[in-house]
Amino acid sequence: MAILVVDKITKRFGGFQVLQDVSLKVEEGSITGLVGPNGSGKSTLLSTVFGFYKPDGGDVYFKGDKITALPPHDVYKKGIAFAFQIPRLFFKLTVLDNLLMAARDHVGTTLDGTLFLRKKWKNQELELARRAFEILELLDLSKLVSHKAGELSGGQRKLLEIGKALMASPDMIFLDEPAAGINPVLSRKIYQNLIELKKKGMTFLVVEHKLEVLLEFADYVYMMDSGKILLSGKPKEVINDPLFYNVYVGEAKDVVSG
Amino acid sequence: MDFTVYLMDTLVFMAIFAILSMSLNVEYGYTGLGNFGKVAFFLCGAYTYAIALLLGVPFYVSFVLSAVTSAILGGLMSLPALRLREDYLAIVTLAIGEVLRIFVKAEEWLTGGVWGITVPSVFANLGLSVDAVAFANVLLSWGVLIAVFLFLRYLTNTPYGRVLLSIREDDTAVQALGKNPILYKAQAFMIGSAIAGIAGALFAQYMRFIDPYMFLPMVTFTVWMMLILGGTANHYGAVVGALIVEIFNRGSRIAKDYLDLPFDPHNIQFILFGVLIILLLLYRPYGLFREKPLKTGVEAEVIKWQSSSSTK
Ligand SMILES: Nc1ncnc2c1ncn2[C@@H]1O[C@H](COP(=O)(O)OP(=O)(O)OP(=O)(O)O)[C@@H](O)[C@H]1O
Ligand SMILES: [Mg+2]
Repeated sequence: MAILVVDKITKRFGGFQVLQDVSLKVEEGSITGLVGPNGSGKSTLLSTVFGFYKPDGGDVYFKGDKITALPPHDVYKKGIAFAFQIPRLFFKLTVLDNLLMAARDHVGTTLDGTLFLRKKWKNQELELARRAFEILELLDLSKLVSHKAGELSGGQRKLLEIGKALMASPDMIFLDEPAAGINPVLSRKIYQNLIELKKKGMTFLVVEHKLEVLLEFADYVYMMDSGKILLSGKPKEVINDPLFYNVYVGEAKDVVSG
Repeated sequence: MDFTVYLMDTLVFMAIFAILSMSLNVEYGYTGLGNFGKVAFFLCGAYTYAIALLLGVPFYVSFVLSAVTSAILGGLMSLPALRLREDYLAIVTLAIGEVLRIFVKAEEWLTGGVWGITVPSVFANLGLSVDAVAFANVLLSWGVLIAVFLFLRYLTNTPYGRVLLSIREDDTAVQALGKNPILYKAQAFMIGSAIAGIAGALFAQYMRFIDPYMFLPMVTFTVWMMLILGGTANHYGAVVGALIVEIFNRGSRIAKDYLDLPFDPHNIQFILFGVLIILLLLYRPYGLFREKPLKTGVEAEVIKWQSSSSTK
């Protein structure tokens, strides 16, 4: 069953059409890849679906509910988490605080909860900190738990960004190039962890440039170019398609558009 | 004024301004909201307190009312501004300070207009000496200061406080994590306004007379100076900054009254402040006190996990 349905989304920035009638379906419990040249609109698609941009046309359904143009904080509540391509961390806060910010339904984050349910939020905070610590161990960041996020290296920032999405324990995660800038051993480890989570029913929509990663881990792949979906299918089929070769792997002079 | 009364007067003003500085700290230091109309909420609290007392409301209820009306004013003006763009809040707050003062000047039936209002003193009918009344005011204002300090220290070391700091850092990222920044910003603004309202009530109660000329934009700028000097996102900074600026203020006034100088030390004070701010920005841009990581009580536990996982 499709957990996410994107139906003919269009998006313009000024006069520039970035998405043209983009439609796709993501099966529940799958890792679905999104691939395409730089500037083809992959990040914009994720941002529009998540509610950062209002689409100029089309609809988005999540678990059967229409979520078109819902603000991001409501999309999150529906069960989607978003890991930005360029990490957006709270630099003056600690690594632990960054993760705890992502926690769902933390009673201490509301004004009344914080004032009147002290015992409850204290307990919850400890449980969540435990979970955050486990995520940091997975991401090789546990020794930096009380460092400020602004002190992390580029790759570590990327890892923490992914950690935030995991911490949200959502039904579905959008990952925008999770392996970019991460060393191969660790990015394998992350993908293997995604497989574990997938077995538990979590769904992933992943922007990924590395073909071998798509081949190994993705269940289904969409290929975009110039704001349109050009190809879709099993990773092997898509990657072996001559069109894919021309647009994505081939030389610049061979690029076919439209 | 004899020396003890003068000292106590200084202490009361220190407390009132320290409370204002802490209130700005919640808005600006923690949540990143620039409030350039702090004086409006101070005024709102002072007039609410005075009018309520004159209507026969008990003084402790009047204090609460000052906080409530200022919070409502804060909510009413911040919500529409926050829904628009960031910088609209700066414009709206800048305007509200002046608008409210002009309103108070004009609505003579309610506020006494330019003639001001005489505020009944809580301590007047107790048959106390001048010194004792001054001392009672010191206790009251420092008591409120400590209560506000403890409240804010609690609030900013909770998951709620973490959301406020995160909004200051990146409100889009906060939104991606399921929290509506506008809601939190409005709440922080209302909390800051309520506290400024309480400071206003303390001021009215202490002065026993208020008029619109006590609420000039200079009050807002003084509070900003206090916070920037002391250091943002640190409650000690907010308080110490207020104490230092107040000492400066008083010092120059004493110098004016008692020393025979060829210039007016009160004017020199502004030059000194200018120099101080420049030096500060050059050598200590974050102020006297630095921001510290927030503590919700799990930190020690986390360090334990860390040491046991690194020995594994
Ligand atoms: N906020 C914006 N305003 C104007 N143009 C934008 C905006 N965001 C993206 N674009 C444009 O839309 C196009 C698609 O950008 P997008 O970031 O979606 O590409 P992408 O497929 O994610 O590329 P990459 O692989 O490099 O991350 C680009 O040409 C970009 O310049
Ligand atoms: Mg991108």
